[in-house]
Amino acid sequence: MIEFKNVNFRYRGTDESGLHDLSLTINDGEMVLLCGASGCGKTTVGRLINGLIPHYYKGELTGNVLVNGMDIEKTELYELAGVVGTVFQNPRSQFFAIDTDGEITFGAENIGMPPDSIISRKDDVSSEMHIEKLLGRSIFELSGGEKQIIACASVSVLSPDIIVLDEPSSNLDLEAIEKLKEILKRWKLQGKTIVIAEHRLYFLRELADRMLILENGRITKEMTAEEIKKLTITDTEKMGIRPMILPEIQYKNSVVESEDILLLEDFCFTYKDGKHGINIPRLELPAYRIIAIIGHNGAGKSTLARNICGLERKCKGTLTMNGKKMKAKERLHNCYMIMQDVNHQLFTESVRDEVMLSMTDKALTDEQKASLADEILEQLDLAEYADTHPMALSGGQKQRTAIASGIASSKSIIIFDEPTSGLDLAHMKQVADQLKKLKDMGKTVIVVTHDNEFILSCCDHVVRLENGCIAEDNHKR
Amino acid sequence: MIKIHLDPRTKLVMIFAVSFIVMVNAVSTIEWIVRIIVTLIPVFLLANEGKHVSAIRFLLCYAAAILLLKYYISAESTGILSALLLGYCGIVAQFMPAMIMAWYVIHTTKIGEFMSAMQKMHIPDGISVSLAVVMRFFPTIKEECLSINDAMKMRDISFGGGRITKMIEYRLVPLMFSCLNIGDELSAAAVTRGLGAQVRRTSPVQLKIKAVDWLMIVIFLLSMIIFVISKYFR
Repeated sequence: MIEFKNVNFRYRGTDESGLHDLSLTINDGEMVLLCGASGCGKTTVGRLINGLIPHYYKGELTGNVLVNGMDIEKTELYELAGVVGTVFQNPRSQFFAIDTDGEITFGAENIGMPPDSIISRKDDVSSEMHIEKLLGRSIFELSGGEKQIIACASVSVLSPDIIVLDEPSSNLDLEAIEKLKEILKRWKLQGKTIVIAEHRLYFLRELADRMLILENGRITKEMTAEEIKKLTITDTEKMGIRPMILPEIQYKNSVVESEDILLLEDFCFTYKDGKHGINIPRLELPAYRIIAIIGHNGAGKSTLARNICGLERKCKGTLTMNGKKMKAKERLHNCYMIMQDVNHQLFTESVRDEVMLSMTDKALTDEQKASLADEILEQLDLAEYADTHPMALSGGQKQRTAIASGIASSKSIIIFDEPTSGLDLAHMKQVADQLKKLKDMGKTVIVVTHDNEFILSCCDHVVRLENGCIAEDNHKR
Repeated sequence: MIKIHLDPRTKLVMIFAVSFIVMVNAVSTIEWIVRIIVTLIPVFLLANEGKHVSAIRFLLCYAAAILLLKYYISAESTGILSALLLGYCGIVAQFMPAMIMAWYVIHTTKIGEFMSAMQKMHIPDGISVSLAVVMRFFPTIKEECLSINDAMKMRDISFGGGRITKMIEYRLVPLMFSCLNIGDELSAAAVTRGLGAQVRRTSPVQLKIKAVDWLMIVIFLLSMIIFVISKYFR
């Protein structure tokens, strides 16, 4: 059983508080879903259960948190390791080992389990989760979905009573989410207590026993399993959370009237491993529209985006727009990509410098550049942060800074790589609005995404890839 | 070809021997023979891992460097061309073998094996865990660098607008931030899985020094002894 008694928490070095007078009891075997906007405190609740607060993330804590009767404040983290297991959001940063076997056994080694039991536990878990195929592989060659399954397996090895998941589906495609759902179902059958903080909710509709909605560190609403199942899209919209049902994308059947076309020819590219790549002899995309590229993890979406961008020199493909045929090198001057991890593309010391860095027109003086930059920042609601260091911004603000530098570079094609992974409803809509703004400016926008809800809110055209080839190519209704 | 699998302890002996012999200046013929042997073994291992093209490319560069050192460059050589060639030979003949050995060790050692080996040598957990994290970080740093490089290409700032300081700054700043973030999240994930517990770590990996390990250990220790005797005691 997990008990929160009048818990207040504030992260060190910040004014905003994490949790306000929160009381909560979670019974054994219950599956509780925590949701709410980013910064509402749901991650903090998870961290209090697995002991990362107060032992790893420091701050002011009052009140009591009891996990299976142990006071979290007086219990060392390693004592909790066998009781509470945690699956984190980012598959990139939760792996200790380089190979899957080592990763799965890591926890068991730490608590000093005898070697024979480690091996038998590993075998049990891998047959239970059907991951024999993933054993003995390098972590770095797995897809995001496979990584997250390995993360679940490495938690399962210690057979904890309580499992905390912090936005586990952020980087997953629909198929991988199905697998995650199966794992959750099995854990639930085994009687484990599950606490899951999430933005994407549809896959938890039948599983959750209780849903708590948090706002500014307080529980504002509590719903039972029956109530959750009754929620419609309008209800969730009103509550500010993502829908409980996976929305279907409807397509137009009719041939669309002729419009400006972006023509891709001979986009064939294979990675060094010889297995992954794309093979697209010809593809017509509507120009000045928002185009979604969808498909499973590993279907070649990001590869296509990189090739359109001209980042792979070896690709012989050409892109024709307005009668101009562009090879990889020229495309690099006409395309701009907002990467999934925007931290990789912020280089300077202030947001304004960041935008000015993209202006390569030598005819402009620094003052002209600065005033142009301020105009762009104004459009993206970043004006007040013009002098802030980009790394001090929130995730969404960083993304908008990257968009601003894309606009400043006056390139005509803007590509987004999974811009909404891990975003709540409000932020997802905000990104959708940015994309529409770009379209209104006359840019062609290409988005690699798994997020159906996002596609519905802004995309005009959907291309689905399968094994590196075009499987479907449709206008959205 | 049969894939050779070495014990981490053997690899440690090898990496130490290779770095020592290759880095120290070789003069006499016997020293050169020893040095070429300890260079060729890592190259052979590289090919054994399936990197045939890299192995052959290196062998060609290495042969060129050795021939240059023997017939063209001497202590009296002057001029820019010889200076450049000397630099080339130094990198190929002195640094590359050690790099290849390091690549091989990092590429083929699983963290579990490494931890188990360290434990058998009675190295404290604190040291082996930190070393393991370092090993784990190499591929991560590589991935991050590639992404940053892409981002720079798109912004057309790969050469920092012509200024070397900017070129380095634009690469290092994002790299540092993402490594800090990853490191922080990684340690949070590791402590929730019991890292730092007051018990002795166990390991399911059973290590055994096999014949091929003994062979390598003997070759490399002998090379070291011959090299040292020839260099300092004659």
